[in-house]
Amino acid sequence: MYQSKSHADNATIFCRDENRVDWHSKALWNLREKRDRAAASVPEWEQLRQLGSEIKLHTLSHLGDYLCQFEQKCIENGIQVHWATDASEHNQIALDILSTHSVKKLVKSKSMLTEECHLNPFLEKHGIEVIDTDLGERIIQLNHQPPSHIVVPAIHMKKEEVGELFHQKLNTPKGESDPTRLTRAARKHLRDQFLSADAAMTGVNMAIADLGAVVVCTNEGNADMGVNLPKLQIHSMGIDKIVPDVDSAMVLLRMLARNAIGQPITTYSSFYRGSKVNGEMHIIIVDNGRTDIMQDKILAESLKCIRCGGCLNTCPVYRRSGGFSYNYTIPGPIGIAVGAQHDDSNTIPWACTLCGSCSYVCPTKVPLDKIIAHHRRLKAQQGKLPFGKKYYMPAVGKLMSSPTLLNCAMASARLALNVIPHRLIKPLSGAWGQYRELPVSPTSSFDTWYKQHRASNKGQNNVS
Amino acid sequence: MSHNTASKHAILAALGQSSINQLNQKPDLSSLKSTSILPSELINRFEKGLTSVTGELIYPDNGNSIDLLKDNVAKLIHQGMQVISLVDGIKGNQLMTTHPHELKHIDYAIMPARFAVAENGAIWVDSEQLNGLNAKTHRVLPFICENLVLVLNKDNIVATMHDAPAKMRLHVGDFGTFIAGPSKTADIEQALVVGAHGAFSLKVYLI
Ligand code: SF4
Repeated sequence: MYQSKSHADNATIFCRDENRVDWHSKALWNLREKRDRAAASVPEWEQLRQLGSEIKLHTLSHLGDYLCQFEQKCIENGIQVHWATDASEHNQIALDILSTHSVKKLVKSKSMLTEECHLNPFLEKHGIEVIDTDLGERIIQLNHQPPSHIVVPAIHMKKEEVGELFHQKLNTPKGESDPTRLTRAARKHLRDQFLSADAAMTGVNMAIADLGAVVVCTNEGNADMGVNLPKLQIHSMGIDKIVPDVDSAMVLLRMLARNAIGQPITTYSSFYRGSKVNGEMHIIIVDNGRTDIMQDKILAESLKCIRCGGCLNTCPVYRRSGGFSYNYTIPGPIGIAVGAQHDDSNTIPWACTLCGSCSYVCPTKVPLDKIIAHHRRLKAQQGKLPFGKKYYMPAVGKLMSSPTLLNCAMASARLALNVIPHRLIKPLSGAWGQYRELPVSPTSSFDTWYKQHRASNKGQNNVS
Repeated sequence: MSHNTASKHAILAALGQSSINQLNQKPDLSSLKSTSILPSELINRFEKGLTSVTGELIYPDNGNSIDLLKDNVAKLIHQGMQVISLVDGIKGNQLMTTHPHELKHIDYAIMPARFAVAENGAIWVDSEQLNGLNAKTHRVLPFICENLVLVLNKDNIVATMHDAPAKMRLHVGDFGTFIAGPSKTADIEQALVVGAHGAFSLKVYLI
């Protein structure tokens, strides 16, 4: 049986080019800094995070009611609503709608859900041409790659690489790498696609229950350009996208772009409460594992996520291992939170230092580090600890819980570090030692030091 | 019409197994709405917000933006530009087309806006503005034009997004959108490029 590579193995591929890793890490940190400035410019930011979290928790706890209300309102707006329990049902529904309208070419705007469902290859197999229209998405589509980030999907590519790709696929001059000129070329190419498409499909940022409307946010305008030309528009949404009303949507909208890229709002935040004149509007509501996640109290909170990408940008592991090392469509902390149960390498929950930076930046207070630690526990309970950890972790546990054993072991380690040349013991430190120097060993242990100092300080410090 | 009732029931039944506490209350958001801010202060804040999203505010000292806009439109038409206007009293040289695709050659679209938000420079346009002068206006107009010009009444600026719902109109079947600046992208090495798929520029005339 094929088993996915471990996170460490995937990361090793990415880390071969050290300069690229530094460049990647810096580009993302740049986004994090912009986010910090944008957040600081809103005095009530922390209040918004708290309210954002409460809105999402409340909606999730009454999700059945809100979904039914949303459907009812959509029907009043003339929108056709479809329900899909999993990815394959979602894809089949989309295909059926498109086939009824004899669609040959579909323009799509960014949707992590359709990536999650692997919709593109499915539709292509059935003879429908699918064009991703977000610039970053189009770049990786032409490059036959999945997104490496949920907001900036081509963040792993350098402009020279995009230039070479466009030279081959879009006939731009050889050696062209100027972002403005490359963007112009893509604009021209995609204009032709928009004007010749038979239908448009988008993801959904928020679905407003009491209106029966969907909100779609883009900076480029690709969603609105796509949706408003052909007769047929389809929007796919996870059940977790529901918010009760417009007031709630505003709380999230104020944080989404600020937390994603440091912009006060996306250029276009469009509310579709029905189709264009003589048009047709469909919404596909998808579960695909979300109700399973909701059965676990800790994992359930991952559904508060609004997919801003903030936790990826701040994550020290994501920044230095890249989006392709997570064995899931969504990488980074939120990718671990919602994808670890599918990870057959059983290593992804360990692609985390538990530093908690992600939970700190999250606009809806998804407790990412807590969820990731929980995934480790779940893997252990299922007997699926990654190779190695399974064998040495119980031993480490025994060692750590016995002071005598631990003291003996540490004394021999200190001795070894002092007397044996480091180049001889370094291989024993495994992956940890690959990019690190071994520590200089102290002459005595903390335990010994503590006992000595406590003894000498006795009677002086116990008056408070 | 609703499809896949079996799947709908399966999802609702699965939600019945949810472990999330049913007692989570909907938070009270009323305290977020702004209280009395001077109109002049709102204009200043809006200009800052709009500039930060690379839009441009036009508000001449004499306050006569409409005459200025008329002059500028005349100049554009003289330069051979294709101009379409949905603003009462401003005449372009193009009429609404039968198909939305035919709007692809529009250089300038001039449209009324309902209101704007100071904190982020976003301007709300909905079906009522689109159809005010011509009921056959295509929704794609503000997106497909090369340059967008919005005309905004200076009394219609609110402080934050929390004040927007009271002003938004989104009737049954409608469409509405917040537009914050010209279309842009930073998908190639994070370099900001204005003019991705939509308009290359956004000018807001304050009246
Ligand atoms: S978990 Fe939070 S920070 Fe991460 S993408 Fe979702 S909303 Fe953003």
